[in-house]
Amino acid sequence: MSLNVDRASTAFTFKGGMLPMTVMELTSADPERVRAQLSSKLSQSPAFFQHTPVVLSVEKLDEPHLALERLCAVCRAHKLLPVAVRGGGDSIKQSAWALGLGWFPTQENRPQAVNSSSDDATAEAVLNEAPLSAASGGRIYRGTVRSGQQVSASEGDLVVIGAVNAGAEILAAGSVHVYGPLRGRALAGIHGDREAGIFCHELHGELLSVAGNYKRLEDIDPTLLGRAVQVRLLEDQLNIETLG
Amino acid sequence: MAKIIVVTSGKGGVGKTTSAAAIATGLALRGNKTVVIDFDVGLRNLDLIMGCERRVVYDLINVIQGEAGLNQAMIRDKRVDNLHILPASQTRDKDALTEEGVERVLGSLSEEFDYIICDSPAGIERGAQLAMHFADEAVVVTNPEVSSVRDSDRILGLLSSKTRRAEKNQEPIKEHLLITRYDPMRVDSGDMLNLQDIQEILAINLIGLIPESEAVLRASNQGVPVTHDQQSDAGQAYVDTVSRLLGEDVPLRFHEAQKKGFLSRMFGGGRR
Repeated sequence: MSLNVDRASTAFTFKGGMLPMTVMELTSADPERVRAQLSSKLSQSPAFFQHTPVVLSVEKLDEPHLALERLCAVCRAHKLLPVAVRGGGDSIKQSAWALGLGWFPTQENRPQAVNSSSDDATAEAVLNEAPLSAASGGRIYRGTVRSGQQVSASEGDLVVIGAVNAGAEILAAGSVHVYGPLRGRALAGIHGDREAGIFCHELHGELLSVAGNYKRLEDIDPTLLGRAVQVRLLEDQLNIETLG
Repeated sequence: MAKIIVVTSGKGGVGKTTSAAAIATGLALRGNKTVVIDFDVGLRNLDLIMGCERRVVYDLINVIQGEAGLNQAMIRDKRVDNLHILPASQTRDKDALTEEGVERVLGSLSEEFDYIICDSPAGIERGAQLAMHFADEAVVVTNPEVSSVRDSDRILGLLSSKTRRAEKNQEPIKEHLLITRYDPMRVDSGDMLNLQDIQEILAINLIGLIPESEAVLRASNQGVPVTHDQQSDAGQAYVDTVSRLLGEDVPLRFHEAQKKGFLSRMFGGGRR
């Protein structure tokens, strides 16, 4: 077949890909401040720093010149691999290229691939919520989370004081606590925290997920429905047990 | 200043227009100067339910686009003096509605009327969002059925986030639950969701319960809002609903199955 012959004679093919990438949003251009913060982060979660590719974003910085080479060196010293720079003016673009890094324009200037005009459910969600105390980094939501709404805590736990109705979605980097009936979807440990759990007063959830391991309503033992339960990961299995 | 009440539901066919017509009629019968506006541009129905379809000349879109004045477009109800209808356009679509236009129309009506009832189209798109946008209160019409309850839940989410009161951080819209087509017999037999379940999921105040009734279809086809049919259970239930909207404390009726007597059991007596 001609197709196979063609494939054999080419050395590579270009393919579009969407890879998960960590963006390091710089709020200071001072390499020493970056170094200090990286060092403290490294001691907290050493697993994260394993030659992880990062994109340095300078969008929030208002400086035409940047000690890019020193910043990259600081990153490499902490086992982060800068692969590209995002934002900044012409001189930053030139120095990125000189260092062998890619360059992306700032996010607003990029042509919008997807225009989510349909109806932004996330925008609906952010009302009547108060940030939890700064120390915990979580979030408390008071009231009913309704169908189509999404409430999330990108750091820490999410506490919902009220019901989570069918068609609603609640997400947290940490655990999810629902003081009321859970009828919608609950996702805990969305960044991969396997110690996170889901706790609710009354289980009817459409979907339960901890660190990507999920169970659908259909997979849940019917005798657990309507009960107060905790959900956690035990040996890669989502485990649901009654509380109290 | 008028009180703006939107009658909405998300799901279609649950009785929004019937309820908007019945509530508007009830408010007017109680002496309030009331106008009911059809927001269902392209699928005009309110004029039929109100029995004024033969008198429509101009409509809401004409007013918004400055082709007609409000007084030219508004139709005075034949039966109740202080009730007016502002029909929707049948030939246009919902894109003809603009936020500024709706605000302007509601603003001028506000000076003249006590109550403005907005009959929302089904769905959650532009027409529905504009109908609810300027509301002070919302009547969420729900059938005792899971899909209707879920759609109402969705609408309640929009009411608390996509309306002017929400955007301006004012006191939130007062939300009322109106359950329609409730059949206590079928609830008892497990075919229908019961009142408590619906209330528990939606978690808002119950303003009324309209029983499934033959009178509703009859009223629709005759173009006479069911509120006028005071012999019927549905008509009475709408009167109760209006009283509660006006702040009165009226006990709930029609939510329990009546024990059938010997004769009706024998002859399968129908309900009015």
